[in-house]
Amino acid sequence: MRTILLAMLLITGLFAQETDAVQITGDVKQPLTLSAADLAKYPRATVRTTSNGMETVYEGVWLHEVLKKAGVPQGGELRGKALSSYVLAMAQDGYQVLFSLGELDPAFIDNQILLADTANGKPMFGAQGRFRLVVPKDKPGARSVRMLTKIEVVQLRKAQ
Amino acid sequence: MKEAILFVAVTALAADFEWNLPKGFPKPVVPADNPMSAAKVELGRYLFYDKRISVNGKQSCGSCHRQELAFTDGLARAAGTTGELHPRSSMSLVNVAYAPTLTWANPTLTSLEEQALGPLLNTAPVELGLKGREEVFLGELRRDPVYQQLFKKVYPGTANPFTLGNVTKTLAAFERTIISMRSPYDRYRWGGEPDALSPAAKRGELIFFSSERGGCFQCHEGWNFSEIRYEGGHDGPDDRAMTGAFLNTGVSHYAAPNRGIYEFTGQPQDIGKFRAPTLRNIELTAPYMHDGSMATLEDVIAHYAAGGKYPHANQSKVIRPLQLSQQDRRDLIEFLKSLTDRDMLRDPRWSDPWAGKPH
Repeated sequence: MRTILLAMLLITGLFAQETDAVQITGDVKQPLTLSAADLAKYPRATVRTTSNGMETVYEGVWLHEVLKKAGVPQGGELRGKALSSYVLAMAQDGYQVLFSLGELDPAFIDNQILLADTANGKPMFGAQGRFRLVVPKDKPGARSVRMLTKIEVVQLRKAQ
Repeated sequence: MKEAILFVAVTALAADFEWNLPKGFPKPVVPADNPMSAAKVELGRYLFYDKRISVNGKQSCGSCHRQELAFTDGLARAAGTTGELHPRSSMSLVNVAYAPTLTWANPTLTSLEEQALGPLLNTAPVELGLKGREEVFLGELRRDPVYQQLFKKVYPGTANPFTLGNVTKTLAAFERTIISMRSPYDRYRWGGEPDALSPAAKRGELIFFSSERGGCFQCHEGWNFSEIRYEGGHDGPDDRAMTGAFLNTGVSHYAAPNRGIYEFTGQPQDIGKFRAPTLRNIELTAPYMHDGSMATLEDVIAHYAAGGKYPHANQSKVIRPLQLSQQDRRDLIEFLKSLTDRDMLRDPRWSDPWAGKPH
């Protein structure tokens, strides 16, 4: 009984707790665990969105800047084998979406994918998560992952 | 010159209405031919609650849209002034100004002015039963000193302002003002008050907005928990592309006349598709669903957790079995209760002006 109770408490705690850092893991030279304080030291960027007539200004760091810090190939280095890599963005509730490295690199395409930590100048909270992605150029909002906890880089290249 | 004076008068009248919305919320759309004015809204309040609008003097608009129940009636199916039952449940009027289409399942009805004619004149079933009695009712308005003063103020320079068209315009203007954006959840999410929600409601929010766990937000989207239109239009890319504004959620067998938008489109793929209404004040609007077939929020959550009750080829792919513990369900309900705007239920701007007065 006590075990069940403990398990329930742990599960409840897991979902109720906001993670205070984002992990950059997988096939990277330098795995990172980034808090909001760490992200504050990166080059900052903003994205303005309108949803149901309500405007929100998200601030954070372009995802490609974070990946650069983790040693993920960018620009001229993003060729050959590196081009079969992808990035899995994972949320606290198990939600996952995928981006290819190519679509994250400004040398390839003028995309905007922000790893945001504030909305309208305030730290995000609750169902937004402490961190989220904002992908304003996507038509639906499905890849603008809320409650973001982990960015995993995976090399896909398969044997012929 | 005369026109110029009239224009100035109309502009002044329109300019005296303020929406007073909390910061960040968009203004609703107002038709160009029915501008808002404080006097029109006040006249609309008198008309909305006037029982002389019904054939037997027993009901007003406010009978099926009661302020204390977030402008619903507490019944599974609405009952008209002569006791005839409507096939569907009265919808809340809260934030109706933002609704792109009106009623449960009419994709063609987009104007509140036009909608107001329905309950007034419908005969199958009779709602207020005004059909054939319009002139009698307008005559009563013309003789009432309250209305003599208000109609003159709202529609100046008109030989006969007592027309059915002006009645429905005025009712629509009043209905547009019934706006709820001040619930505990609003204060928590947009008002900088982290303690406005209980820990249970905060956990419920995570389930509501998680497509893995609840996914409720996929149909009850955005700040109004329903699709909206607002001043300035739509957002362009629209989640409706994925879910559709009207959905079959496996609520019933969908027998006539409750076949959803199929009643209007005649397309078999539209059978069972009904609006996803706003969830604001949902705590007060039981029983639930288009047919009032679910008595409690617990029943509604059990319905969705089971992935729907009556499997149908048109059932939305968003509806699928969910893993929700008893605690999760309680948390979701706490979250839904945080959408109740208690001030709205007592706000004198929307209360019955005839209360306690003979008329």
